Amino acid sequence: MAYAFEIHGLTKRFDTVTALDGIDLRVGRPSIVGLLGRNGSGKTTLIQHLMGLQLPNEGTVTTLARPSHALRHDELIHIGYVPQEIRLLDWMTVEQHLRYVSCFYPAWDTGREQKLLAALELDSTKTVGTLSAGNLQKLAVILAVCHHPDLLVLDEPVSDFDPIVRGRLLEFLLELVREDEATILVSSHVLRDVERIVDWVVCLDKGRVVTDASLDELKERYSEWRIVSTDGALPARFSEPYVLAQEVSGRQARLVVRQSAADVAAFRAAHAAEITVHPLNLEEMFPLLVREDPS
Amino acid sequence: MILVVDTHSGIPVYRQLVDQIRFGVASGLLTAGEEIPSTRALSASLGVNPMTISKAFSLLEEDGVLERRPGRPHVVRARPDRATRLEQLEQALRPVATKVRQLDLETDAAITVFRRLLENRKKR
Repeated sequence: MAYAFEIHGLTKRFDTVTALDGIDLRVGRPSIVGLLGRNGSGKTTLIQHLMGLQLPNEGTVTTLARPSHALRHDELIHIGYVPQEIRLLDWMTVEQHLRYVSCFYPAWDTGREQKLLAALELDSTKTVGTLSAGNLQKLAVILAVCHHPDLLVLDEPVSDFDPIVRGRLLEFLLELVREDEATILVSSHVLRDVERIVDWVVCLDKGRVVTDASLDELKERYSEWRIVSTDGALPARFSEPYVLAQEVSGRQARLVVRQSAADVAAFRAAHAAEITVHPLNLEEMFPLLVREDPS
Repeated sequence: MILVVDTHSGIPVYRQLVDQIRFGVASGLLTAGEEIPSTRALSASLGVNPMTISKAFSLLEEDGVLERRPGRPHVVRARPDRATRLEQLEQALRPVATKVRQLDLETDAAITVFRRLLENRKKR
């Protein structure tokens, strides 16, 4: 199976609003993909299409080699999904809920379940309806991973976790890739978490894919130049096509550049300037990623 | 050898690993024939994506720093020659050269400072 999922020309409208606008996306295996974007950019709608919970107006969505709206039970048991809005059976205890859900999955791993209850510090005797938002999220994560899924989709999974528990969850996600060779799609605004584990980044803006690249490639694509003029003069505005953002102040300037297209030697010669190149981390490059059209 | 990565740096993690291992071999911290932990082991101990470790290992293989052995951990090849070590030094000194020019100091003065720093270290 070459791709964990494949999306071609996906468009989705809600009344007059176009939520997804011609999405093309393919994700290979194994991989951890970060799905990023501002609020309302279409992340959750995209995820719901992967799970077959929404039907496209146009285009096709294939999840684990099946049209996602026609996923059968024997395919769904290879998928794990933690939705943004978690709805579980409030009257059960955590333990009862785990037993109930485990019945649907032949590959349910009680060892992993026990390990995660301990690592995430979730008390299995508690009633689901009394759980805090954070504890409910923990249960939803455990319910989504104990059957060794080939594809795990997490929609804002860590928002209510404290830093220690969040760290343990991230460690566990890496373990899933090592042990199960799973593909993980994680949508999150916590860019520091995303940056720690993902190898691939997809950004949405207004329902379109605006970035689809490996994290390493993005870190090598953009950088910040701190510039000091050696002869005292700098232009009021730099017009080099690879300059994406700029701040000029007297003899100094700070530029955000597309490093892969930049010519340091030519720039230095043209402006009589010393350049110090600083790499950008995911948080720093995020504004570039959500605005930029890859074409 | 202790490897340290900063996942929030703008420098890709594979790049950080390649630089550290390359320097480790050049400086003799890693010796020829020494085994490097496996992709899985390093992914677990550093808490980074296994794909990142594989990428670093393939680059180091291409550069002749590490040797791949089927089904066994990578081993360190021979310590690089003097020319390669000088190349590494040049790379490390490049930002210093920029500083010297920004401070508007003459080459001779900068070299005197550098010589003093090198010789002080020897006396201790």
